[in-house]
Amino acid sequence: MDKLTIAGRTFDSRLLIGTGKFSSPRVMAEALAASGSQIVTVALRRVDIDNPADDTLREIDRDRYLLLPNTSGARDADEAVRLARLARAATGIDWVKLEVTPDPYYLLPCPVETLKAAEILVKEGFVVLPYINADPILAKRLQDVGTATVMPLGSPIGSNQGLKTRVALEIIIEQSVVPVVVDAGLGLPSHVAEAMEIGADAVLVNTAIATANDPIGMASAFKLAVEAGRKAYEAGPRAPQHKAEASSPLTGFLRES
Amino acid sequence: MRSLKVNGVERQFAPDAMPGTLSALLDALGVGPTTVVAEVDGRIVRREEFDRTELQDGQKVELIKLMGGG
Repeated sequence: MDKLTIAGRTFDSRLLIGTGKFSSPRVMAEALAASGSQIVTVALRRVDIDNPADDTLREIDRDRYLLLPNTSGARDADEAVRLARLARAATGIDWVKLEVTPDPYYLLPCPVETLKAAEILVKEGFVVLPYINADPILAKRLQDVGTATVMPLGSPIGSNQGLKTRVALEIIIEQSVVPVVVDAGLGLPSHVAEAMEIGADAVLVNTAIATANDPIGMASAFKLAVEAGRKAYEAGPRAPQHKAEASSPLTGFLRES
Repeated sequence: MRSLKVNGVERQFAPDAMPGTLSALLDALGVGPTTVVAEVDGRIVRREEFDRTELQDGQKVELIKLMGGG
Protein backbone atom coordinates (compact mmCIF):
# COMPACT_ATOMS: atom_id res chain seq x y z
CA MET A 1 0.00 0.00 0.00
CA ASP A 2 1.38 3.41 -0.90
CA LYS A 3 1.72 6.03 1.80
CA LEU A 4 -0.68 8.78 2.77
CA THR A 5 0.67 12.32 2.85
CA ILE A 6 -1.21 15.14 4.57
CA ALA A 7 0.34 18.60 4.81
CA GLY A 8 3.78 17.20 4.07
CA ARG A 9 3.58 14.51 6.75
CA THR A 10 3.62 10.88 5.68
CA PHE A 11 1.64 8.01 7.20
CA ASP A 12 1.69 4.26 6.54
CA SER A 13 -1.91 3.84 7.67
CA ARG A 14 -4.92 5.23 5.84
CA LEU A 15 -7.26 4.60 8.76
CA LEU A 16 -7.94 7.44 11.18
CA ILE A 17 -9.62 6.52 14.46
CA GLY A 18 -11.86 8.54 16.72
CA THR A 19 -11.37 8.00 20.45
CA GLY A 20 -14.96 8.55 21.65
CA LYS A 21 -17.32 5.97 23.17
CA PHE A 22 -14.72 3.34 24.16
CA SER A 23 -15.61 1.40 27.31
CA SER A 24 -12.21 2.03 28.91
CA PRO A 25 -8.85 3.66 28.16
CA ARG A 26 -7.28 0.19 28.03
CA VAL A 27 -9.72 -1.13 25.41
CA MET A 28 -9.19 2.05 23.41
CA ALA A 29 -5.40 1.65 23.50
CA GLU A 30 -5.63 -1.97 22.36
CA ALA A 31 -8.11 -1.14 19.60
CA LEU A 32 -5.85 1.67 18.37
CA ALA A 33 -2.92 -0.73 18.26
CA ALA A 34 -4.99 -3.33 16.36
CA SER A 35 -6.15 -0.72 13.84
CA GLY A 36 -2.61 0.25 12.86
CA SER A 37 -3.81 3.86 12.82
CA GLN A 38 -1.35 6.73 13.21
CA ILE A 39 -3.82 9.59 13.51
CA VAL A 40 -6.41 9.69 16.30
CA THR A 41 -9.00 12.36 16.88
CA VAL A 42 -9.75 13.80 20.31
CA ALA A 43 -12.28 16.31 21.62
CA LEU A 44 -12.05 19.21 24.04
CA ARG A 45 -14.38 19.49 26.99
CA ARG A 46 -14.58 21.21 30.35
CA VAL A 47 -12.75 19.47 33.17
CA ASP A 48 -15.33 17.74 35.36
CA ILE A 49 -14.69 19.42 38.69
CA ASP A 50 -16.47 16.57 40.50
CA ASN A 51 -14.12 14.06 38.89
CA PRO A 52 -11.05 16.22 38.32
CA ALA A 53 -8.43 13.48 37.96
CA ASP A 54 -10.29 11.75 35.11
CA ASP A 55 -8.06 11.36 32.07
CA THR A 56 -9.50 9.00 29.46
CA LEU A 57 -6.62 9.66 27.07
CA ARG A 58 -3.84 8.63 29.45
CA GLU A 59 -3.17 5.41 27.53
CA ILE A 60 -2.52 7.11 24.20
CA ASP A 61 1.14 6.99 23.25
CA ARG A 62 1.78 10.35 21.68
CA ASP A 63 5.00 9.21 20.06
CA ARG A 64 3.01 6.65 18.12
CA TYR A 65 -0.13 8.58 17.27
CA LEU A 66 -0.65 12.08 15.97
CA LEU A 67 -3.41 13.62 18.05
CA LEU A 68 -5.93 15.40 15.87
CA PRO A 69 -8.12 17.60 18.08
CA ASN A 70 -11.59 18.27 16.75
CA THR A 71 -13.91 21.21 17.24
CA SER A 72 -16.93 19.04 18.01
CA GLY A 73 -19.65 20.89 19.84
CA ALA A 74 -19.04 24.10 17.88
CA ARG A 75 -22.22 25.49 16.33
CA ASP A 76 -20.66 28.40 14.46
CA ALA A 77 -17.31 29.61 13.16
CA ASP A 78 -16.48 31.65 16.28
CA GLU A 79 -16.92 28.65 18.57
CA ALA A 80 -14.89 26.43 16.25
CA VAL A 81 -12.03 28.94 16.12
CA ARG A 82 -12.07 29.23 19.91
CA LEU A 83 -11.90 25.46 20.30
CA ALA A 84 -9.11 25.17 17.75
CA ARG A 85 -7.03 27.77 19.58
CA LEU A 86 -7.63 25.99 22.90
CA ALA A 87 -6.68 22.68 21.33
CA ARG A 88 -3.44 24.13 20.04
CA ALA A 89 -2.66 25.58 23.46
CA ALA A 90 -3.44 22.24 25.13
CA THR A 91 -1.46 20.02 22.79
CA GLY A 92 1.07 22.14 20.97
CA ILE A 93 -0.38 20.64 17.79
CA ASP A 94 -1.61 22.93 15.06
CA TRP A 95 -3.63 20.26 13.26
CA VAL A 96 -7.37 20.51 13.71
CA LYS A 97 -10.35 18.56 12.51
CA LEU A 98 -12.80 21.37 11.89
CA GLU A 99 -16.39 20.44 12.70
CA VAL A 100 -19.25 22.90 12.88
CA THR A 101 -22.54 21.14 13.54
CA PRO A 102 -25.42 23.44 14.45
CA ASP A 103 -28.07 20.73 14.27
CA PRO A 104 -27.90 18.29 17.18
CA TYR A 105 -30.23 15.71 15.62
CA TYR A 106 -28.38 14.80 12.42
CA LEU A 107 -25.10 16.55 13.33
CA LEU A 108 -24.71 17.71 9.75
CA PRO A 109 -21.93 20.25 9.23
CA CYS A 110 -22.75 23.84 8.32
CA PRO A 111 -20.98 24.68 5.04
CA VAL A 112 -21.07 28.47 5.52
CA GLU A 113 -19.61 28.51 9.03
CA THR A 114 -17.11 25.75 8.19
CA LEU A 115 -15.73 27.72 5.25
CA LYS A 116 -15.57 30.88 7.37
CA ALA A 117 -13.73 29.11 10.20
CA ALA A 118 -11.38 27.37 7.77
CA GLU A 119 -10.29 30.69 6.28
CA ILE A 120 -9.50 32.12 9.72
CA LEU A 121 -7.67 29.01 10.94
CA VAL A 122 -5.57 28.60 7.79
CA LYS A 123 -4.46 32.24 8.18
CA GLU A 124 -3.49 31.50 11.79
CA GLY A 125 -1.24 28.67 10.63
CA PHE A 126 -3.45 25.71 11.43
CA VAL A 127 -3.43 22.53 9.36
CA VAL A 128 -7.16 22.31 8.79
CA LEU A 129 -9.03 19.07 8.06
CA PRO A 130 -12.66 20.10 7.60
CA TYR A 131 -15.61 17.76 8.15
CA ILE A 132 -18.16 18.51 5.44
CA ASN A 133 -21.21 17.19 3.73
CA ALA A 134 -20.33 15.47 0.46
CA ASP A 135 -20.51 18.69 -1.54
CA PRO A 136 -17.97 18.93 -4.38
CA ILE A 137 -18.29 22.71 -4.70
CA LEU A 138 -17.69 23.25 -1.00
CA ALA A 139 -14.76 20.81 -1.11
CA LYS A 140 -13.23 22.92 -3.88
CA ARG A 141 -13.81 26.19 -2.00
CA LEU A 142 -12.17 24.75 1.12
CA GLN A 143 -9.18 23.49 -0.77
CA ASP A 144 -8.88 26.93 -2.41
CA VAL A 145 -8.60 28.61 1.01
CA GLY A 146 -5.84 26.16 1.94
CA THR A 147 -7.27 23.27 3.91
CA ALA A 148 -5.00 20.23 4.13
CA THR A 149 -7.74 17.72 3.31
CA VAL A 150 -11.45 17.55 2.89
CA MET A 151 -13.43 15.12 5.04
CA PRO A 152 -16.79 14.44 3.42
CA LEU A 153 -19.32 12.30 5.24
CA GLY A 154 -20.59 8.95 4.01
CA SER A 155 -23.77 9.31 6.08
CA PRO A 156 -24.64 11.02 9.39
CA ILE A 157 -22.13 10.63 12.25
CA GLY A 158 -22.49 7.39 14.17
CA SER A 159 -25.34 6.17 11.95
CA ASN A 160 -23.52 3.12 10.50
CA GLN A 161 -25.32 3.65 7.19
CA GLY A 162 -22.24 3.51 4.96
CA LEU A 163 -21.67 5.43 1.74
CA LYS A 164 -25.05 7.05 1.13
CA THR A 165 -23.29 9.96 -0.56
CA ARG A 166 -21.30 7.84 -3.01
CA VAL A 167 -22.13 9.77 -6.19
CA ALA A 168 -20.98 13.06 -4.67
CA LEU A 169 -17.95 11.42 -3.06
CA GLU A 170 -16.83 10.17 -6.46
CA ILE A 171 -16.98 13.71 -7.84
CA ILE A 172 -15.03 15.07 -4.86
CA ILE A 173 -12.38 12.36 -5.27
CA GLU A 174 -12.13 13.06 -9.00
CA GLN A 175 -11.68 16.80 -8.53
CA SER A 176 -9.76 17.12 -5.28
CA VAL A 177 -6.08 18.02 -5.20
CA VAL A 178 -5.90 17.52 -1.41
CA PRO A 179 -6.44 14.14 0.27
CA VAL A 180 -10.06 13.07 0.65
CA VAL A 181 -10.77 11.45 4.01
CA VAL A 182 -14.22 9.89 4.12
CA ASP A 183 -15.56 10.46 7.60
CA ALA A 184 -18.73 9.56 9.43
CA GLY A 185 -21.35 6.87 9.03
CA LEU A 186 -18.91 4.09 8.12
CA GLY A 187 -20.41 1.20 10.05
CA LEU A 188 -18.77 -1.86 8.54
CA PRO A 189 -15.43 -2.87 7.06
CA SER A 190 -17.24 -3.27 3.70
CA HIS A 191 -18.17 0.44 3.85
CA VAL A 192 -14.56 1.54 4.22
CA ALA A 193 -13.43 -0.95 1.58
CA GLU A 194 -15.94 0.65 -0.79
CA ALA A 195 -14.68 4.15 0.05
CA MET A 196 -11.08 3.09 -0.58
CA GLU A 197 -12.00 1.24 -3.80
CA ILE A 198 -13.48 4.41 -5.30
CA GLY A 199 -10.28 6.28 -4.51
CA ALA A 200 -10.67 7.89 -1.11
CA ASP A 201 -7.23 8.64 0.34
CA ALA A 202 -8.23 7.63 3.87
CA VAL A 203 -11.20 7.03 6.13
CA LEU A 204 -12.08 7.94 9.70
CA VAL A 205 -13.94 5.48 11.92
CA ASN A 206 -15.03 5.76 15.54
CA THR A 207 -18.47 4.48 16.56
CA ALA A 208 -18.32 1.27 14.54
CA ILE A 209 -15.14 0.21 16.34
CA ALA A 210 -15.72 1.68 19.79
CA THR A 211 -19.23 0.26 20.20
CA ALA A 212 -18.66 -3.20 18.69
CA ASN A 213 -18.90 -6.18 21.03
CA ASP A 214 -15.19 -6.67 20.48
CA PRO A 215 -13.64 -3.30 19.61
CA ILE A 216 -10.17 -4.81 19.19
CA GLY A 217 -11.38 -7.45 16.73
CA MET A 218 -13.38 -4.84 14.86
CA ALA A 219 -10.38 -2.47 14.69
CA SER A 220 -8.40 -5.25 13.09
CA ALA A 221 -11.22 -5.95 10.60
CA PHE A 222 -11.31 -2.26 9.60
CA LYS A 223 -7.53 -2.25 9.14
CA LEU A 224 -7.76 -5.17 6.71
CA ALA A 225 -10.68 -3.57 4.85
CA VAL A 226 -8.82 -0.29 4.36
CA GLU A 227 -5.81 -2.16 3.02
CA ALA A 228 -7.93 -4.38 0.77
CA GLY A 229 -9.85 -1.41 -0.62
CA ARG A 230 -6.71 0.63 -1.24
CA LYS A 231 -4.90 -2.26 -2.93
CA ALA A 232 -7.93 -2.84 -5.16
CA TYR A 233 -7.94 0.84 -6.10
CA GLU A 234 -4.23 0.76 -6.88
CA ALA A 235 -4.73 -2.40 -8.94
CA GLY A 236 -7.23 -0.60 -11.18
CA PRO A 237 -10.73 -2.09 -10.88
CA ARG A 238 -12.87 -2.45 -14.04
CA ALA A 239 -16.15 -0.58 -14.31
CA PRO A 240 -19.45 -2.44 -14.01
CA GLN A 241 -21.27 -3.17 -17.25
CA HIS A 242 -24.77 -4.32 -18.12
CA LYS A 243 -23.95 -7.39 -20.25
CA ALA A 244 -22.21 -10.57 -19.25
CA GLU A 245 -18.68 -11.16 -20.46
CA ALA A 246 -17.48 -14.77 -20.34
CA SER A 247 -14.54 -15.46 -18.07
CA SER A 248 -13.84 -18.81 -19.72
CA PRO A 249 -12.70 -18.82 -23.36
CA LEU A 250 -15.54 -19.69 -25.77
CA THR A 251 -14.42 -22.81 -27.60
CA GLY A 252 -17.47 -23.49 -29.74
CA PHE A 253 -16.49 -27.16 -30.42
CA LEU A 254 -19.58 -28.54 -28.62
CA ARG A 255 -21.89 -27.39 -31.33
CA GLU A 256 -19.63 -27.45 -34.38
CA SER A 257 -20.26 -30.07 -37.02
CA MET B 1 -15.21 36.45 50.69
CA ARG B 2 -13.48 36.16 47.34
CA SER B 3 -14.94 34.33 44.40
CA LEU B 4 -13.96 32.74 41.09
CA LYS B 5 -16.32 31.39 38.48
CA VAL B 6 -14.79 28.04 37.52
CA ASN B 7 -16.35 26.15 34.61
CA GLY B 8 -19.58 28.03 35.07
CA VAL B 9 -19.84 27.50 38.82
CA GLU B 10 -19.29 30.29 41.34
CA ARG B 11 -16.74 29.29 44.02
CA GLN B 12 -16.26 31.23 47.24
CA PHE B 13 -12.94 31.46 49.06
CA ALA B 14 -11.97 33.04 52.34
CA PRO B 15 -9.55 35.91 51.58
CA ASP B 16 -6.55 33.97 52.86
CA ALA B 17 -7.61 30.76 51.06
CA MET B 18 -8.11 32.30 47.62
CA PRO B 19 -5.79 30.51 45.14
CA GLY B 20 -3.20 33.04 44.06
CA THR B 21 -2.37 31.43 40.73
CA LEU B 22 -3.90 29.04 38.23
CA SER B 23 -1.54 26.32 39.49
CA ALA B 24 -2.82 26.82 43.03
CA LEU B 25 -6.41 26.59 41.77
CA LEU B 26 -5.70 23.31 39.96
CA ASP B 27 -4.07 21.92 43.10
CA ALA B 28 -7.02 23.02 45.23
CA LEU B 29 -9.45 21.30 42.85
CA GLY B 30 -7.27 18.20 42.33
CA VAL B 31 -7.28 18.55 38.55
CA GLY B 32 -5.17 15.76 37.10
CA PRO B 33 -4.85 15.51 33.32
CA THR B 34 -1.67 16.87 31.83
CA THR B 35 -3.45 18.26 28.79
CA VAL B 36 -5.46 20.87 30.68
CA VAL B 37 -5.59 24.33 29.19
CA ALA B 38 -7.30 27.34 30.72
CA GLU B 39 -9.11 30.47 29.75
CA VAL B 40 -9.07 33.33 32.22
CA ASP B 41 -11.65 35.95 31.32
CA GLY B 42 -11.54 34.61 27.77
CA ARG B 43 -7.74 34.72 27.44
CA ILE B 44 -6.08 31.36 26.68
CA VAL B 45 -3.41 30.30 29.16
CA ARG B 46 -1.08 27.37 28.43
CA ARG B 47 -0.15 24.91 31.12
CA GLU B 48 3.44 26.21 31.23
CA GLU B 49 2.05 29.61 32.22
CA PHE B 50 -0.20 28.39 35.04
CA ASP B 51 2.44 29.04 37.72
CA ARG B 52 2.80 32.69 36.86
CA THR B 53 -0.82 33.40 36.02
CA GLU B 54 -2.25 35.29 38.99
CA LEU B 55 -5.93 35.13 39.75
CA GLN B 56 -8.04 38.07 40.87
CA ASP B 57 -11.33 38.16 42.73
CA GLY B 58 -14.31 37.79 40.39
CA GLN B 59 -12.48 36.28 37.42
CA LYS B 60 -14.00 33.71 35.12
CA VAL B 61 -11.87 30.58 34.67
CA GLU B 62 -12.52 27.79 32.20
CA LEU B 63 -10.51 24.58 32.62
CA ILE B 64 -10.56 22.50 29.47
CA LYS B 65 -9.05 19.08 28.78
CA LEU B 66 -8.75 16.62 25.94
CA MET B 67 -11.08 13.68 26.00
CA GLY B 68 -12.21 10.91 23.71
CA GLY B 69 -14.03 12.06 20.60
CA GLY B 70 -14.42 11.48 16.89
